[in-house]
Parts: sequence; structure tokens; C-alpha cells
Amino acid sequence: MKYDVYTDIEVTDDFNVFDFISTGKNGDILKRVAFTRTEQDGVYNLALGDVDEDNEINDYAVTDNGDRNKVLATVAFIVEAYTKKFPDRWIIFRGSTEERTRLYRMAVGLHLDELSSLYEIWAYKDERLVPFTKNLKIKAFLIRRKFS
Amino acid sequence: MKRVIKHKSELAGQEITFTVSEKLNKLKGKVLAPKKLADANKLLRKLKTPLPK
Repeated sequence: MKYDVYTDIEVTDDFNVFDFISTGKNGDILKRVAFTRTEQDGVYNLALGDVDEDNEINDYAVTDNGDRNKVLATVAFIVEAYTKKFPDRWIIFRGSTEERTRLYRMAVGLHLDELSSLYEIWAYKDERLVPFTKNLKIKAFLIRRKFS
Repeated sequence: MKRVIKHKSELAGQEITFTVSEKLNKLKGKVLAPKKLADANKLLRKLKTPLPK
């Protein structure tokens, strides 16, 4: 994966919330990635969005800052660092819209071989977990570090 | 003095610097993106297969 990434990231000391600044054609936009415990033991929800004036994550914002790949690559690196620190945690993620879920599906599909060397990659489909394969239409991803 | 954590990507070989932020620490304990979390919980409740071992 040879993508440009944002390399200066702020984080909480429990390593669950990450902020970085997207710089592009619409200026500097504060982005936030948060991992939150779900009702299911060991599963954490990944949220990504712009930080709004109330200091909340707005995951429906359309930034159009011209740096989509750089933002996604940065999130991928954050996930890598997070799962290195917490290798036993499952991460569930999906887009806030069908189009965004499709974008994530394409991004994961494009790098499936490399990503599969590091993660177990499962797809939530028809209320079941199945191994993710390219072009599979899914509701969400569930991933976890592979045990080495 | 700021606490800094460096992470080198296994996938790309690049290094990222994480800086612990006191401002962000104030968010600890707060439920972030609650709608997204509720959606995730809803999906997980409907799951008919167990998490892989």
C-alpha cells in the first residue's frame, strides 16, 4: 500500500480516539477516528468523520477536500496501530451511507491480499459472517489481527 | 512534555507519530458517534453466526 498519509495524529492516552487534519482544496478540516465498545464483548465500532462545532463526529459530512485516498490510507494506518495495541479486539466498520460502504468495499478489495496477511477479514452479509471476497455486497466489515 | 508514540506500518513501511493530547483526553468516557454505534449494535444483535474463534 503506497499511499500518502497524514503522519501527525493526536490521540487519547487510552488509544481510542484519533484526530488529524485533512488539508485540501477546501482548507484544513479536522477529522476524527473513534473506536467505541459495542454491546458484543470484544467488538469495537469504528467511526470516522469531521469534527463539528460541538466537538462531535459528523460522519455524514461531505468534505470533498480532494484527499479521499490520503484520508482512507491514514485511517488504515490508525487501524493497524490500534490493532497492534489491541490484537484481540474485533473492529466493526461500515460507511454511513451505502455509497461509502461501497467505497470501503472497493478499497479493501483492491488491497485484499496485503490486508489479508495482517487481518482476518469477515463480511456481515444477510445477518451472517462470511469471509470477505472481492465484489461481495455487504453491510459491514468485521476484522481482527491475525495471530502470528 | 508531550507523550509521543511512533508506529511504523507493517503494510507500507511508513512511520506515523501519535501525540497524546490532553484536549482529546477530555473526551474519554463520552460516547462518540452514538448513531453509528447504535447501528453497529443493531447489526450485532441480529447476527446469527458466532464470532470466529
